[in-house]
Amino acid sequence: MKIPIHVSEESREPIYHQVETQIKTLIASGQLPPGTPLPSIRALAGDVGCSVITTRRVYQNLESAGFIKTIQGKGTFVREMESVRMEETKQKVIYEAFEKAIEQGKQLGCTAEELGAIFQETVEKFYKNGG
Amino acid sequence: MQTSLVEVKGLTKKYKKFTLGPLDFKVERGIVIGLVGANGSGKSTLFRLLMNLLKEDDGQIQMFGRTHSNHVWKQKVGYAGELLEAYEFLSINELKRLISRWYPTWDEEMYEKLVKRYKLDVSEKFSKCSKGTKKKVEFIFSLCHHPELLLLDEPTAGVDLASQRKVKEDLLMFMDDGEKSIVLATHTVDEINQLCDEIMVLDQGRVVHTYNKDEIYDHWARVWVSDITPPIKQHPNVIHYDTAPPQIVTDDLWVLERALDKEQIDVQQVQRLALEEVLEYLIDSRKRGDGSAVS
Repeated sequence: MKIPIHVSEESREPIYHQVETQIKTLIASGQLPPGTPLPSIRALAGDVGCSVITTRRVYQNLESAGFIKTIQGKGTFVREMESVRMEETKQKVIYEAFEKAIEQGKQLGCTAEELGAIFQETVEKFYKNGG
Repeated sequence: MQTSLVEVKGLTKKYKKFTLGPLDFKVERGIVIGLVGANGSGKSTLFRLLMNLLKEDDGQIQMFGRTHSNHVWKQKVGYAGELLEAYEFLSINELKRLISRWYPTWDEEMYEKLVKRYKLDVSEKFSKCSKGTKKKVEFIFSLCHHPELLLLDEPTAGVDLASQRKVKEDLLMFMDDGEKSIVLATHTVDEINQLCDEIMVLDQGRVVHTYNKDEIYDHWARVWVSDITPPIKQHPNVIHYDTAPPQIVTDDLWVLERALDKEQIDVQQVQRLALEEVLEYLIDSRKRGDGSAVS
């Protein structure tokens, strides 16, 4: 059971945060529906290329935030989430992604207008052919 | 239940031209330590000391919370190093008969399964086996008594690619319950990437670095900058620099950024370093901490 997690070479975020956000995204988008078994902390560490110290921390955070549950002797599974929470998570992930992009644009010296234009253009590019 | 399976304090072994140690480290339960270092840096000597095949000149080793002289621990350890050469006139199966008798917990079914998995001809004389096959045999023998601690000295050196992958899988499986530990000496970056939690770098008999692997990701980086001033060249966290285009390899991005800021140097881009590259800097002491050797 491999899940698509990718650690970025360019990102400034610590590994645990990247992995945590990506799993949240997979859950909120429905790619990992409730009940889906997740890899063990050792297997996930092997796939991501990080230590079990990091994956253990990620699973602990996800568990206390209610995304997953661990059943002793059976493994870790995606939890049923209320649709409200799901929507909240989606919004949060999207906001975070935009914030990151805008921060980068600002660093490169873009004005708000320029960023707005780029945003508009990009949205059109993705949604023109039926999304 | 004790949390460290191995505890080493001030361990020293002296030879005419080489001294190992003094070494201090712990192997925590549930953790894989990657032991890396150039040839001759002392990795195999360390394993032999841990296995009590060599006697230390100074310091002490505790296994499973007990002193080294109490041999109960040997039942809980699986070691794959060059141990079988003395019996190389035996076939693989004859070796198995010899070794399995030492372990009350020997799992014959597991042995049969692994022999098949690694496609071994058990009637073959050990002395006639290729280097890779010998490694596979040692690896299988280290696993079949269900140890809690594996000490593996380059288990995949000379082993074919498909079997290397199998070794990785078997080790991940071994670690899956979080109760066991491995010390793995290796020159294979893939193994460090996929298996190890901590990295211990040996250089000329001394541990020069111990890292949680993710610290490397979080701290090491290549930074492209507008300029490199003399104070930056001398900065302790500048591992390496290059002038065309100006770029710095650092082992502590956050500290370096503050230093750059003080020098009013702009950061143009930051990239994480691949583990492979970091290991090269760590293992090759001539590369380490000597930016001036670069044009």
